[in-house]
Amino acid sequence: MTMTDLPVLQALKGKLRFHETRQKVLAENVANAETPGYTARDIKAPDFFRVAVDGEADAGVSTVLTNPMHIAGPAISNGTPFRPEKVGGYDVTPDGNAVSLEDQMMKVTSNQMDFQTVTSLYQRSLGLLKTAVGKK
Amino acid sequence: MDFLKTLMISSAGLKVQTGRMRIIAENVANADSVASTSGGDPYRRQIPTVTSKFDKELGAEMVRLGKVVPDRTDFETKYEPNSPAADASGNVKYPNVSPLIEMVDMQSAQRTYEANLNVVSSTRSMLQKTIDILRG
Repeated sequence: MTMTDLPVLQALKGKLRFHETRQKVLAENVANAETPGYTARDIKAPDFFRVAVDGEADAGVSTVLTNPMHIAGPAISNGTPFRPEKVGGYDVTPDGNAVSLEDQMMKVTSNQMDFQTVTSLYQRSLGLLKTAVGKK
Repeated sequence: MDFLKTLMISSAGLKVQTGRMRIIAENVANADSVASTSGGDPYRRQIPTVTSKFDKELGAEMVRLGKVVPDRTDFETKYEPNSPAADASGNVKYPNVSPLIEMVDMQSAQRTYEANLNVVSSTRSMLQKTIDILRG
């Protein structure tokens, strides 16, 4: 068991990864704000409580243990478990582009704020551990 | 690292808007470019197009500048018999560039450029917050 296996840190890590992936999807939307026929995408937030209890949803392929005493290898996954989905825009331009820059800016800002919250929480959790092991 | 990918996507968006701006500048600069020969065609307005292609490495729709197509609308004619570009009846063909349209296009390019820049700075701040976890 490593330190990052703690449920709290696991959940926070999952949420950090979610916001990281979401930022990428939002950047894609903004970059394609003028591409004809492009529809904005977004990813849905998973249930982070479930992530904290059962571990990550799509953790990938891991080694099979023939003996409970063996140490499991790290799971290999093909990147991210999040799937971007098209979000129907309400303002579609004549060339078929449905990206609202204002909308995307709001999402980027809220994503950044959430990310900041989680990094502070992560730092605090590490601080708790440091206190427990006797921080000088 | 998803954040670096995000920055690359945004930089592609910035590049496209810069290219668009370059073509708009070309149009505005040539708004009065008439033919050098009598009765010849003047400068024809250029239209930048934006396309996107799925980048397998980044796993995202990468935006890029497509073909630059000429504007097929009719030229404006003015009666200027003294001009060297005038045809037999004294008419001079002027470019089909409308300053108003170019200004609106310029505003739109600028707005999208700023939106991309906004994503870059937001991503940079998220990256910084991640590094700050290490500082404790």
